[in-house]
Amino acid sequence: MTTVGVERHVTVNGVTSAAVAVPAGEAVGRVLGTQSASPLSFWIGLAPGKVVQLDDVVVTRREVPGYGPVLMAGVVATVEARHEGAAYDSDVFLIADGALPAAVVEVAEVRVTRVEPEVFVPPLPGAQVYLAGAGDRDQALYFDVMDRRIPIGTGRDGQPLYVNFDFLDGTRGAHVSISGVSGVATKTSFATFLLYSIFNSGVLGGEAANTKALIFSVKGEDLLFLDHDNSRLDESARSVYGRLGLPATPFSSVHVFAPPRPNDPNGVPHVSARTQGVSSFFWTLVEFCQEELLRFVFADADDERAGYSLLVGQVAARLQAWAEPVGDGGAVRIRGTACRTFSDLVELLSDQLQDEASRHEWTGAQTPLGTVNAFLRRLRSAVRPLSPIVRGDLPFFRAHTIRTSDAQVSIVDLHNLPERAQRFVVGVVLRGEFHRKESAGTAKPLLFVVLDELNKYAPREGDSPIKEILLDVAERGRSLGVILIGAQQTASEVERRIVANSAVRVAGRLDSAEAARSEYGWLPPAVRERATIAKPGTMFVAQPEIPVPLAVAFPFPAWATRPSEAVAQAKASADPFQGLPGAEDDIPPF
Amino acid sequence: MTGFTVDPWDPGYAAALAAEALSELGATSAELILDVERPAADWKPVRPGPGVDPPETLLVADGVRRIDARVWVADADSPMPLPGIAASFAAGIVRCGPGGADLAEIEVARSLISASPYAPEVKTTHATYRPGRAADSSMEELSLALQRQVTQLEVDLAVRHRATTGDLLLVDGPLRGRTHLPNTVGYIKTHHTAYLPPPQSAVVSALAPGERTPVFLMGTSWRRHAWYVRLPVRSSTPWAGIARCEASAELEPAQVVRLADELTLALPPLAGVDYKDPRAPQNLVPIGGLEKLLRHHLGDPRLLYRALRTASQG
Repeated sequence: MTTVGVERHVTVNGVTSAAVAVPAGEAVGRVLGTQSASPLSFWIGLAPGKVVQLDDVVVTRREVPGYGPVLMAGVVATVEARHEGAAYDSDVFLIADGALPAAVVEVAEVRVTRVEPEVFVPPLPGAQVYLAGAGDRDQALYFDVMDRRIPIGTGRDGQPLYVNFDFLDGTRGAHVSISGVSGVATKTSFATFLLYSIFNSGVLGGEAANTKALIFSVKGEDLLFLDHDNSRLDESARSVYGRLGLPATPFSSVHVFAPPRPNDPNGVPHVSARTQGVSSFFWTLVEFCQEELLRFVFADADDERAGYSLLVGQVAARLQAWAEPVGDGGAVRIRGTACRTFSDLVELLSDQLQDEASRHEWTGAQTPLGTVNAFLRRLRSAVRPLSPIVRGDLPFFRAHTIRTSDAQVSIVDLHNLPERAQRFVVGVVLRGEFHRKESAGTAKPLLFVVLDELNKYAPREGDSPIKEILLDVAERGRSLGVILIGAQQTASEVERRIVANSAVRVAGRLDSAEAARSEYGWLPPAVRERATIAKPGTMFVAQPEIPVPLAVAFPFPAWATRPSEAVAQAKASADPFQGLPGAEDDIPPF
Repeated sequence: MTGFTVDPWDPGYAAALAAEALSELGATSAELILDVERPAADWKPVRPGPGVDPPETLLVADGVRRIDARVWVADADSPMPLPGIAASFAAGIVRCGPGGADLAEIEVARSLISASPYAPEVKTTHATYRPGRAADSSMEELSLALQRQVTQLEVDLAVRHRATTGDLLLVDGPLRGRTHLPNTVGYIKTHHTAYLPPPQSAVVSALAPGERTPVFLMGTSWRRHAWYVRLPVRSSTPWAGIARCEASAELEPAQVVRLADELTLALPPLAGVDYKDPRAPQNLVPIGGLEKLLRHHLGDPRLLYRALRTASQG
């Protein structure tokens, strides 16, 4: 049966093109008859000397009356070897010593990914099975019908694997959910590679320059060198980029936002390893009051349960109404008292709310004293974490807000901030960007938001203002052009609707208890087992079109991921004052 | 003492024993030459000396048979149809060597045996049964006719394979009909007749595992060299684990002794274990494995039975 290579190539649209003969792959074995073959999965026995490994793509064909040749393509999901003819475990020694005649057989289970044309008949036992050649492989994995595809890495065979961009940009789906054990799952690295691939693969066309990414970085200064060459990138890694059709370069345009250095009168960004393309971010007390940011101080799920959410809303509304800017440092005056720091503001609220007479004016309705006290206790505990980023004492004119307009990739460095402040920043920034996209009215250009530890911001239990925004992003972001690339250690602890809305699901190394949960139902059992031993750099990627997850090895980053890897940037820039605050930032002295 | 011991063999093999016993028929009037290796008075267990090595490669030949259906063959000479059997049988050779044990030769045949000269060739959808002739219609004679065919197939196969290799060949069962093959030894698992006189018989009982008796020459309806060997066994039955080996009568005494020594070293590692094989230890592991393979090659009995029934209906 040497039918491969002679049939006409039938494309998905039913157009028969007598074009290039399908490159005949190597015959590896035959469909087994001792295990039932079905249209969705079948077993193959491997011919002596032939090997297939997990994730290999194999094809077989069957002549179906009335339809012509039907191609059945699939991915190897299980490979097993055993002694045929051995009845006892100890027989292995007899067989190895040459006393007992027995054959070593290797069999593999194939999960069918594609039947073309769609005639769901099982392959016949005994039919030859081939390793997929180039054309068959694309067909088996649906790459031939992906008009816009982005490379996500290489398969076991070293050939590129793709994800359909239609499922990322909102056309047919959006959002990515990445799960895996911290440290070995390389979630952030994969997310950055995915961004790199989106920006550099050419799928964005004319929008490439305007498409932006916002990355919240919670882990050290790893992500601060995305625009530096990686000194450890060797030739073999470069060739992988070549095969994927991507340049092996760092990100071209990166801007880092970092909180101000504590106790620094000028608000210099708190970053030690990076000197260029960094600015500090903070909110002035004026913005804090006018934009009602008080809600995000109480962004814990606990806060929602504590019963003072009504009070938070009341106080925020009063602050918005009563706060007047004073000076040019962003300080406010509220009912005659000037507040220059967050601590001043908290003191003022504390005084006013504890005073019998003024309390009613703030709270409006009758509020139990216990609730007020609980609110104040919680508010006071926010002074330490939030003081560095809610300010009224720094020069107001300096740009201090986080915006995505400065560079293609904006990184918000959170690792120096306590958790309470991280929540505040994520909540406020996400709300700002979401509102901006909402008012812009068009989905394009897209904004990709990378957020790690999603289980912290959108936990399954409880409510919080950040979870509300993230749910909004998950459910409406697709049409608004805000694409969430969320990462978490445990998808089981993340709000279901967020995971459910992710079109592309990715898993790295999983904890074995975690892998058994229903949230990973998209991983077939054998893959789940493998996920518990996945090496760093290996991810299992599921996309709606392909019925099995693809095991992907993504290439070594072409950008530095730590200071020691960063190649010093050329100092040959024409402007020696580049990096210093530009003249246009200064207010003219007249 | 109860006065008896229970033989560890599965009683279910009685039928098979009968078939083997049949091939030994007429073996009672034995001519014995005991002093081939050493004088009859000086018989004692022999343990191979240090100068002997077991053969590197050992070929093991065996055959299996299975009655697929009992049939009635219409006979023009007789008003009553004659009984017959439709049987499948196979013979094979396993090569046990340093690279493992693998199947060197296999041949499967099927036969429809009856006393009628008009037995047809039966072509079913799965297999073809060629006609075979038995002396009369008794079950014993039909079975014996089948056994003859099996033995013939084994002999043919051994002769054919002998042409390609000179390795030591161990055939399961008496050497009868194959004595002309060089470097070939027959291996008999069961003992229906006590060939040796009492003094020498006691030597057999006294054998320790891995020891053999001296070689002797015996002639019944045919002549051959023979010796007994004891395999490792846990049973305390006096003749447990005893097997008899046969070699060509044409060989020089020194050649036979060397062959016997080599084989006495080669056999114990191949001995079966009783919990795995009810015929252990005499049923050697390669023989057990080969029989299993051969039986597998005979095909599915239910499928063949159905095919025969379908064929009988035209």
